[in-house]
Amino acid sequence: MDPFPLPRIPVPALTRRAFLSALAASAPRLLASPTAPRPRADTLILLWMAGGMAQTETFDPKRYTPFEPGLDPNRVLSTFRPIDTAVDNIKISEGLERLARVMDRATLIRTNRVADIGFILHSRNQSNWHTGYAPPQTVACPHLGSVMAKTLGPKNPDLPAFVDIGQNLEIGAESDAIKAFHTAGFLGSEYGPFLIYDPNEAAAAVRPAHLSEDRFRQRYERYSRLLEAQGSAYQQESLARSLNNAHRLLSSPAAQAFDLSLEPKEIYDTYNTSRFGLGCLLARRLTEAGTRFIEVTTEYIPFRYWDTHENGHERTIALKRTIDAPISQLVLDLEERGLLDRTLIVVATEFGRDLIVEGKPEKRVKDQVTVPDRILEPKHYGMHRHFTEACSVLLFGGGVKKGFLYGQTADERPCKIVDKPVSIEDLHATLYYAMGIPPDLAYEVEKRPFHVTKDGKGKPILDLFAQV
Amino acid sequence: MRKLWPALFAIAAAGAAPRNIDFDREVRPLLAARCGSCHGGDKPQAGLAMGALADLLKGGQNGPAIVLGDSRGSLLIQRITGFKAPIMPFGGEPLSDSQIDLLRAWIDQEPAHPIDRLLHLTAAPVSDALFARRAYLDLWGLPPTPEQLTDFPSREALLDRLLADRKNYAEHWISFWNDLLRNDEGVVYHGTRQSISTWLLQALEDNLPYDRFVQALLNPTAPTDPAGFLIGVNWRGDINASQTPVMQAAQNSAQVFLGVNLKCNSCHDSFISRWKLKDAYGLASFFAETELSIYRCDMPTGEKSQPRFLFPELGGVAPDASPAERRAAAARLFTTPENTRFARTAVNRIWKRLLGSGLVEPIDEMDRPPQNPELLDWLASDFVAHHYDLKFLIRRIMTSRAYQAPTVRRLTAEQFADSISAITGEWRLLEPSKPGVATPSREWRLKSTPLTRALGRPIRDQVFTDRNHEATTLQALELANGATLSALLHRGARRLLGELPPSPQNLFDSGIVRNEKVPVDVDISGAPELRLLVVDADSYDRSRVIAGWTEAKLVGPGGATTLPDTTNLRVPSELVFPLTGKGYTRFQGTIVVDKASQQSDINPRVRFFVFDQAPDPEHLVRFGDRKEADSSLLPPSAPLRSRFGAGQAGGLSYLYQHTYARNPTPQELSIAQEFLSSGPEGLEDLLWTLFLSPEFLYLH
Repeated sequence: MDPFPLPRIPVPALTRRAFLSALAASAPRLLASPTAPRPRADTLILLWMAGGMAQTETFDPKRYTPFEPGLDPNRVLSTFRPIDTAVDNIKISEGLERLARVMDRATLIRTNRVADIGFILHSRNQSNWHTGYAPPQTVACPHLGSVMAKTLGPKNPDLPAFVDIGQNLEIGAESDAIKAFHTAGFLGSEYGPFLIYDPNEAAAAVRPAHLSEDRFRQRYERYSRLLEAQGSAYQQESLARSLNNAHRLLSSPAAQAFDLSLEPKEIYDTYNTSRFGLGCLLARRLTEAGTRFIEVTTEYIPFRYWDTHENGHERTIALKRTIDAPISQLVLDLEERGLLDRTLIVVATEFGRDLIVEGKPEKRVKDQVTVPDRILEPKHYGMHRHFTEACSVLLFGGGVKKGFLYGQTADERPCKIVDKPVSIEDLHATLYYAMGIPPDLAYEVEKRPFHVTKDGKGKPILDLFAQV
Repeated sequence: MRKLWPALFAIAAAGAAPRNIDFDREVRPLLAARCGSCHGGDKPQAGLAMGALADLLKGGQNGPAIVLGDSRGSLLIQRITGFKAPIMPFGGEPLSDSQIDLLRAWIDQEPAHPIDRLLHLTAAPVSDALFARRAYLDLWGLPPTPEQLTDFPSREALLDRLLADRKNYAEHWISFWNDLLRNDEGVVYHGTRQSISTWLLQALEDNLPYDRFVQALLNPTAPTDPAGFLIGVNWRGDINASQTPVMQAAQNSAQVFLGVNLKCNSCHDSFISRWKLKDAYGLASFFAETELSIYRCDMPTGEKSQPRFLFPELGGVAPDASPAERRAAAARLFTTPENTRFARTAVNRIWKRLLGSGLVEPIDEMDRPPQNPELLDWLASDFVAHHYDLKFLIRRIMTSRAYQAPTVRRLTAEQFADSISAITGEWRLLEPSKPGVATPSREWRLKSTPLTRALGRPIRDQVFTDRNHEATTLQALELANGATLSALLHRGARRLLGELPPSPQNLFDSGIVRNEKVPVDVDISGAPELRLLVVDADSYDRSRVIAGWTEAKLVGPGGATTLPDTTNLRVPSELVFPLTGKGYTRFQGTIVVDKASQQSDINPRVRFFVFDQAPDPEHLVRFGDRKEADSSLLPPSAPLRSRFGAGQAGGLSYLYQHTYARNPTPQELSIAQEFLSSGPEGLEDLLWTLFLSPEFLYLH
């Protein structure tokens, strides 16, 4: 039996129109190419560095300039020293020592160039990254995870196919923008994310949370009897079916995947750097249990976490502490369980950061942070502006090469991409490809095709995949 | 000119239902032979054409020619019998008795309601009780109370009564319009967006005629007009050329008001419809302040656009007209009675809302042939003839047997949440951000919750003309295990039992404070204790907010006592000072948000309260007396316990009537009593089973 069966590619209702048929016919061609590496992933874990992770402070270190009062900000590219990793030609920033040791399992892309959509708004760039389309759009665009849930279905029917961990949707002024892309859009709410804010509370989300198990069971038993008494053919109704599914999950052994208290203490402690860290642990458990797509976010809240508008150096020390152990441990744990080869881990962010350039070097946009002529206080020392020219993406598992570096940025400001830029479309195409989904797959909405990468134009970067 | 009313001249097809006299075979030839020479052709006498049933129903200058089911009341019969002068056919041989009898019998055999006649419908209507439940939910969004169920005059009189209630009608129908007009409450966008709720609610309360309603949306001139519709939902930053505010205005107005999809052809000529790029720009040019440059797939073409309406045969506007003149022209072209697409699109939407599916589907593709062209055209012309009166249209549809026949329609998220609140008396509160009074509120006025989002309340970034009503597992998880419904039922059960103690009112409420110092001076005479509370109100990082009280003292006739400074408290905090017997009459102090909290990533927002007893954490803000609430908006809910009487049957009957518009069966009663044996928790669980049953969730 083929250990990595290709998913059936659904081409829903695409035969109605000739031009759509042509488009559908082109879909499987990519997969049929004899020389292309085979897609191997059946699960995707997206680890989201919300707020714009500074690439020069993490995975693309440049010349280190220590803090001293009176420093010229134009001289500062990195506020951390570069460190060696398990791979000779890859250096990353200090504070990521554990990740450095697992770089021999990673493919590192340093040249993700996100869309140029002007005056920076995090939620808009995040929306763009998560759906492939920059708002506003004429239809409600689905989250990447919803597309995968819809296209590939659940791996374990007792579990939600798409789980999203760590994001509170009520975050003040950008709440509605955040809510808008945490949905399945026009694909229908069935494919939407199952949202878990606090991994420690995850067990409660799939266990009777507000009543005892006995009371919960009794309520449903009486409910079923009452419906029978009403004499309706309720079993046939989708409502009853969905409630049955919910109760099945709520009493299923698979629900134990959500329960972090079942982890050995030392493992729990390794991951327990933050809610994000525990989210990585939950992601590992859900991967083992059969969830198709899991996103764990450091959480977006304006000006918090990776959205470092001031005090960038100090805050980045703390941020790296929250991600270094859990991400590297997740890689090791999945490897140990034999799951890494078919689980693609993606560490990504909406854009990079720089101390001087806001936007792109050739198209600066309105500054949101005042940078003094001379850095006198530590709070001005760090990458405080939003940089859309380049950011880093880290991949593990799922058939990508090990210890591989892709793309290069210049060593001097404005640190432009000098080799192999990767657009969001191509990055998405690569993720879809790894999961066996053609990047020009289209779903029909309002009689027109909606492609899973923008206009179906994303091209997977086959060079990232190992030949097996 | 494009023929916009073709179906008016269509012939009513013979229906499946058995009837003695066939219109096409017997009636139409007779009318054609005896009346056709004057009442036919392009200019029929007195505006009365007689070639089709719809013509007769629509009538001419003297009103409808026939009233179905009522030959005596039909002008046609009155004229051919000479009951009303002049006798018809004018100046011709009168009809024979057998011909008159044939027409009489035909009129009398027909269903009384024109809609039913056009649908050839003879289905039996649902019971009065189910009709009442459906009517209340469709017009007010709330189920009838048992008292309202008993007070049932007649179906038509009930509809009149419900429609006459301006507030409840508006509070319910605003959600329908909010979906179409992308309007919402409690939402913020970085970019431009403007709520139109105040105007929209008033327009619904006033039953503003639909043509004037749309004119205000497309051509806002007064400061109170709904400018937000044309502004749309815009994000800051660079926008794709096909999504600029004026292009959005063109797409949305064409979709919502005319059932025309301009989305493809806002980028390039459409592959799937006849609409071209220049059509989208032509319409957008009506809303633009300056001449528009045409972009194809976000690339400039070098061409400029002029205002050009989608149906240019209806007219246009001079290329050099001012922006105000262009908007006025758009408002005119959309809403002129000659633009029959306008009325047809509206009646199709209302039809779908009330019957579950449109006469044209998909509802936004009005180019497609209607399932029943004659009915759609008649409804539209009837709507226009009655001055675009939306309540008239709704009443017209709801008086038909087509509406009153058995159906299965799911409650909307708003109907579901509001109905539960109405039955339990437990409403969500709209809390002012400034010191003030919280008011019980219907769902639409508040931010959506995980519950109402799961049930389909949309994020209105796009126009929503058709909500997704499918039952999904994620939705069921929210219903079975979600915090929102659970908390609502927890309080609701206790409120129904009269076991929810009244929440104490605060002595002081700072409103939401960011960084200002606010002095406090409150009367505490006779208070048993003093409680000083600080709670978070959506700071970015509540764990680092520090706030408290300074210069605080208790003042009385015997002098003042200074309280220690507490400006270094984490949020939330509660300080308690016993006061009994100490004679203090005033508490004075100042509230402070610590300077260390004033950082961009903390963004402190806190609220300070003073109480003289232990507060209800759910209700810190003062709340209006329930008596002050609009009694029709929020039906008072007497405690269920008072209705229990002997056994529990009385209370349960009341609950069942309110929930399902019927009494419980003996078997249901016995299961319900099993629940109630475990007190408030039991009632909470019983409510869950009642609200989750298809009988509650669907209109039957």
